[in-house]
Amino acid sequence: MLNSTIKKIKSYKKGFSINKKHKMIGWFFVIPGALLIFSFYFYPIIRAFILSLQGGVGSNLRFAGLANYKRLLQDGLFKQSMFNVFIYLILQVPIMLSLALILAGILNDKTLKFRSFFRTAIFVPCATSLVSYAIIFRSMFALDGFVNTLLMNLNILGEPINWLGGAWTARLLIVIGLTWRWTGYNMIFYLAGLQNIDPAIYEAAKIDGASAWDRMTKITIPILKPIILLTTIMSTNGTLQIFDETQNLTSGGPANATLSVSQYIYRLSFEYVPRFGYAAAIAFVVFIIVAVLSFMQLKVGDER
Amino acid sequence: MKKNLTLMFLMLVMLVGFSTMSFAQEDATITVWCWDPNFNIYAMEEAADIYKDTNPDVTIDVQEVAWEDIQTRLSTSLSANQTEDLPDIVLMQDNALIKNVSSFPNAFYDLSDSNIDFDKFADFKVELTTVDGRNYGVPFDNGAAINAMRVDVLEEAGYTIEDFTDITWEEFIEKGSDVREKTGKPLLSALAGESDLLMVMLQSTGNWLFDDSGEPYITENEALKEVIRVYQELLEKKILVQVNDWDQYISSFQSGTVAGTMNGAWIIGSIVPVEEQAGDWRITNIPRFGSIEGATNYSSQGGSSWMVMASSENPEVAADFLNQTFAGSKKLYETILPSSGALATYLPAGDSEVYNEPHPYFGGQKIYSDITDFASEVPRVKYGIYNYEARDAVSTAITQIMQGQDMMDSLEEAQSTVEFQMW
Amino acid sequence: MLRTSKYLFLIIISFLSLFPLFWMFVAATNKSVDVLAGTLIPGTNLLENFKILTANTNLYRAMWNSFKYAAVTTLASLLVSSLAGYGFEIYHDRGKDFLMNILLLSMMVPFAVIMVPLYMLFGNLGLLNTTAGFALPTVSTAFLIFLFRQSSRNFPHEVIEASRLDGLSEIGIFFRMFIPIMRSTYAAAAVITFMNAWNNYLWPLIIMQKESARTMPLLISNLTAGYTIDYGVLMLAVGISILPTLIIFLALQKNFAEGVTGSAK
Repeated sequence: MLNSTIKKIKSYKKGFSINKKHKMIGWFFVIPGALLIFSFYFYPIIRAFILSLQGGVGSNLRFAGLANYKRLLQDGLFKQSMFNVFIYLILQVPIMLSLALILAGILNDKTLKFRSFFRTAIFVPCATSLVSYAIIFRSMFALDGFVNTLLMNLNILGEPINWLGGAWTARLLIVIGLTWRWTGYNMIFYLAGLQNIDPAIYEAAKIDGASAWDRMTKITIPILKPIILLTTIMSTNGTLQIFDETQNLTSGGPANATLSVSQYIYRLSFEYVPRFGYAAAIAFVVFIIVAVLSFMQLKVGDER
Repeated sequence: MKKNLTLMFLMLVMLVGFSTMSFAQEDATITVWCWDPNFNIYAMEEAADIYKDTNPDVTIDVQEVAWEDIQTRLSTSLSANQTEDLPDIVLMQDNALIKNVSSFPNAFYDLSDSNIDFDKFADFKVELTTVDGRNYGVPFDNGAAINAMRVDVLEEAGYTIEDFTDITWEEFIEKGSDVREKTGKPLLSALAGESDLLMVMLQSTGNWLFDDSGEPYITENEALKEVIRVYQELLEKKILVQVNDWDQYISSFQSGTVAGTMNGAWIIGSIVPVEEQAGDWRITNIPRFGSIEGATNYSSQGGSSWMVMASSENPEVAADFLNQTFAGSKKLYETILPSSGALATYLPAGDSEVYNEPHPYFGGQKIYSDITDFASEVPRVKYGIYNYEARDAVSTAITQIMQGQDMMDSLEEAQSTVEFQMW
Repeated sequence: MLRTSKYLFLIIISFLSLFPLFWMFVAATNKSVDVLAGTLIPGTNLLENFKILTANTNLYRAMWNSFKYAAVTTLASLLVSSLAGYGFEIYHDRGKDFLMNILLLSMMVPFAVIMVPLYMLFGNLGLLNTTAGFALPTVSTAFLIFLFRQSSRNFPHEVIEASRLDGLSEIGIFFRMFIPIMRSTYAAAAVITFMNAWNNYLWPLIIMQKESARTMPLLISNLTAGYTIDYGVLMLAVGISILPTLIIFLALQKNFAEGVTGSAK
């Protein structure tokens, strides 16, 4: 039943040839973009790597080999910040992406009213400047703020929670903030991807008797797989490198409980005595971790 | 007769010649980066006007740039060796000055030999702008600490502002508890997890987080421990309440939830906009630590100074500009005070009439001359290169102590963190 | 039943999403003191706030600069990245797959650390304070290329065959077939790219140090940097800053959400 539908989808890929000539032409398509990235990303990345092998302060740098890398293994703040971003990654990314997927699915229904309004509303948070929503968030989660008052009125809480004052509540706050801000962003990619699915397929599936759940798991998700992979890799990258939210919502506190690695890099470069070499070494460790995670995801999820 | 005429003619020629020489400067543009249109930028623009009278060939271009942005740009440009976009003059936070000069040697212009009379500035500011005995900054805004209080609330409890002047912390706690009992209001609010108020208290004792040799001075720092002890007592007795961020801090006294605040004198800018409270505020000095030798009723918080960049094309002109205005013009300080409340650490300004004007919002108190007096009494401390690292470590320690962790454990952790970062 | 719960769910989420925006617009009409007191009622201070904003900052120039840089960046990067993404997918081979993976690596190093070498490079190229300087680092990003590559996986390849039979060149297929059919992806990418370019903070901070080149995020940063922050004025600036992105979103959303399916057949 459903299998015939799926076969129909896969038939999109048939009847198409790539020969040697095409592959050559393909390179011309690809080279401008690749060249720009090599010039403006890889060149500085290599310089940054060289920097990471240098020790010293400010503009007085000298070669130090792997000293920076050895040092960060003992750096309490570094370890704390890595722990923090992993918490965010594990807690926040799955929730956000699932929510975005569900919302995209719901909003893709052409018979639903006010679709435009809902779409816009959900998009607005990622366009809203961090400055404004940080102030509101903090005041909403203050000891006498809206959230505590609401929860106490609903009898869920006996006493107000000091959200910003406790390590785990502050981290939860970051997770909430991130989800609020970025769900819409990911939803947009899913919506765009869903447009490439011919509604005739859904019709055929419905006629074949497939349930909403079946339609979602056997049609929607497989077709969206490439985009889903994109969003998981981007979200992994983005969360591990998070800066804005932890800097503006909690300033990395309390007592560094929400400090992110990017924040620590920023402090090392611009707030504390500037140690660009050491900051670069930390950045490279992040780089390696993100790269490993991303390639694991590619291996599992990427297919033609 | 003819001889006299010729002589006079010659003298005239010489006179004209000399006068054109003294005005024969090249056209120069001096770019300045600073923040806050109501305060620093306004002061700079007034200074530019004054300088234009005597030096019409020099244009002062004042550009608004936030402090963190200035720091980011400086660090990036200086380490990339790409200085063409850097300004001639930059406003620098005192907390960061020594760190920047030490990290980027030769990036800042040495002002020691530039005719500027540094004796005319408050001692503690000069200390903060000196590295290895050389002067790098012209002190500007006054961060002298004040204790601002709502005297209408005090009155309810039977006190006046004099009762809180020149007192010790024991007395403050005693009277504060009384006020709290009788009116239900705390006297202070502070940011949870930030060490700002503690640093004000520490500096008033003449101590800092580093000893004279530059080593971290935390676990052995008896003054620091006493400061923490007092802070905890203030919290316990609810004379001090903690808030979670800056906006909440400001709103705590603007809304009247708290009956006072202690901070640098610039906090006045956040008190005055509240029209309903006009006339109810007075200021005085902060309490001192009775049990610590050498403790005073004075301290400072924040504050900034003007620096000249070595990459400037006209550093002497820039230095001369600063000398004629911020380091030499009483008129400048008199002009900027009334409209912006911009206080300075230029001591001669304190004698002027404007500084002795009664301020209506503060019930006619001559706050400006009071604050200038305070500034002259602030103890000299050296913030050091690792200032931010130490402040952050102590902030973390405070949060831990407030969460119940043992004080010595937290302080030891703080000390070892700072030691780790000094390498 | 399912439908009502869907609507309820959407309404709750929309409310949560829009509330801060509403608060922001309310704050823009109030005096700073009232904003901090937490008022939710629009005030009468909008004009006053606007006057202060335009008196203390060069709002128009910052808006124009931000728009100019963001527009140029968006147009250039859509072209370059979609070309590359299409190339990586439609003409895929082992080499290109490998290259794509390498390019992905470029996103994984925190920007703060590549900023200094990048700045040095642009200084040497003489591109400080130029639109090219602003745009070049983001014209080609692994993210956009990856987006187009992944989206191209759903591009009906029979269209390509048919077009070849009709005598279209490969590049012709790209411009005449791919771009129109993949409208939804282009629309989504345009909104996101524009928004990111507009909100970009760190790179413009150092590549555009001349005051005449200042962008909105920097202007807003200055508003938070004073000893006393005027929250009403600040929220007004933030509100104005959001408008271009919102307008572009509203203009394009039909495209990426209502699609052009069926025309491929």
